[in-house]
Amino acid sequence: MTSTTSRDSAQKPRLLESRRVLTLILLAAFVGSLLNLDWTTGFIHSGGIDAMGEFAKALFTLDLSADTLTSAISASWTTVAYAVAGLTLALLIGIPLGAIGSGVLTRSPWLRVTSGGGTRFSLAFFRSIHELVWAWLFVAAIGLSPMAAVLALAIPYGGILGRIYAELLQDVPDAPLRSLRSTGASEWRVFWYGRLPMALPDMLSYTFYRLECGIRSAAIMSFVGLGGLGHEIRISLDDLAYQQVWTYLLFLIGLVVIVDVWSTMVRRRLSE
Amino acid sequence: MALLRTREPETLYSAASCSVSLTAVSKQYGVKEAIFPLNLSIDAGERVAFLGPSGGGKTTLLRLLSGQLETSTGTVCLCDRDLSTMPTGRQVSQLVGMIHQQFDLIPNLSALQNTLAGQLGEWSLIKSLVSLVWPMNRDIGLSALTRVGVEGIAYQRAGSLSGGEQQRVAIARLLVQDPQVILADEPVSSLDPARAGEVLQLLVGIAEEAGKTLIASMHSVELAREHFSRLIGLRNGAVIFDLPSHEVTEDMLHDLYNLQGLRSET
Repeated sequence: MTSTTSRDSAQKPRLLESRRVLTLILLAAFVGSLLNLDWTTGFIHSGGIDAMGEFAKALFTLDLSADTLTSAISASWTTVAYAVAGLTLALLIGIPLGAIGSGVLTRSPWLRVTSGGGTRFSLAFFRSIHELVWAWLFVAAIGLSPMAAVLALAIPYGGILGRIYAELLQDVPDAPLRSLRSTGASEWRVFWYGRLPMALPDMLSYTFYRLECGIRSAAIMSFVGLGGLGHEIRISLDDLAYQQVWTYLLFLIGLVVIVDVWSTMVRRRLSE
Repeated sequence: MALLRTREPETLYSAASCSVSLTAVSKQYGVKEAIFPLNLSIDAGERVAFLGPSGGGKTTLLRLLSGQLETSTGTVCLCDRDLSTMPTGRQVSQLVGMIHQQFDLIPNLSALQNTLAGQLGEWSLIKSLVSLVWPMNRDIGLSALTRVGVEGIAYQRAGSLSGGEQQRVAIARLLVQDPQVILADEPVSSLDPARAGEVLQLLVGIAEEAGKTLIASMHSVELAREHFSRLIGLRNGAVIFDLPSHEVTEDMLHDLYNLQGLRSET
């Protein structure tokens, strides 16, 4: 029925179709916000243009002194350590909760709804709060310790991974699973022998993407004082030492690129 | 298979005679009649092929026999046991195993692990998990792969194998599962003609050798006549003929696939 109605409306475009209405509302909001801007005082404050120029110029006069480089390397190490530890913990949350939340471990509809629903709700709760907010909470609770950073990263990332894993595990083609079931395998064995192996390449590739995000997040999180690249960037920004800021930024970019290359290599090996 | 392992004597089932019987079995999908009430009995060790146009009920009938579908009316008995009263997937899997047109292997696991998956119904969860990393009962798997002629690719990913090799691995998995009745849903339809003949020969040979009952739906009339002793023509969910292969005439086959007749009936 739905397919015929949508085909009908495609033939006779209606002005008040819900999609159009939404487009119009968004367009109106955009135009409205433009009109509401205070154009007379300009976007940026008076010294803004100069500051931007200086910041851009600093890229060509990088601070490559031994001091800065050692602190950049040690800060990079801290950031990577936070990201890896956080993601590892996130995997411990995401894999089991994702598997339960996908509802594929049981054939009982009742269990599927209760355990699946409950798990998906907690996953949604974990990820709907941003890692920066979790960081504030944990710094308040346990002080400026690496544990705060790792936990702050692990919880929302666990929520995100769990949700994506659940979807990937559900979307596996059904026919090979059916033939596993016909050998007498329970849903648990079907999970380990069918669903997981078939979903694994996509899960892995998404996990790598999350590691990349984790490095950026770990850098940003250290703005609250937890050490790492973000912490150094903030100190250098406060000192208006743009040359140093660029050095740290390039280290951050370098880390992300390394993870990207690594994930490409792993994925290529998997698909062989 | 007796060749592959010695099974503990099963008191409930005997390997010697495992017949299949359908009594007043029918199947409806909503208001549509997929299978009209029919009786059918197949002796132990018989090799039967279902023929007929697509949508005629071949696959539905096989799925009813495998317990994947429940009958709307009537009973399916395997080895004199009512299929609907058998509680667990494991018990059913000892009686009946199925292979499909699309092989249905797990592409990311090795051929050997796909083969050994035939024992998943009997392994404990721990043993199954260990076997994912370190294949258990490797010799059973390897001898099954040797029997189907592909022992050389035991450690390759199933997804990287050719169609013919994949179907052989699927047959090896069936050997390891060791059911009494083998169901095959168009087992060679996605293979080229040369490969199709070879693989079917292998399947039939194995069934014969171990005295298994083999029931297949077949797309190719020629292959069905060549390899099966009894042919059952199905159209619109009803049995059109049920005869020994050599008694099936061209006229009967013509009527079975006749488009004119199909159109007037549907």
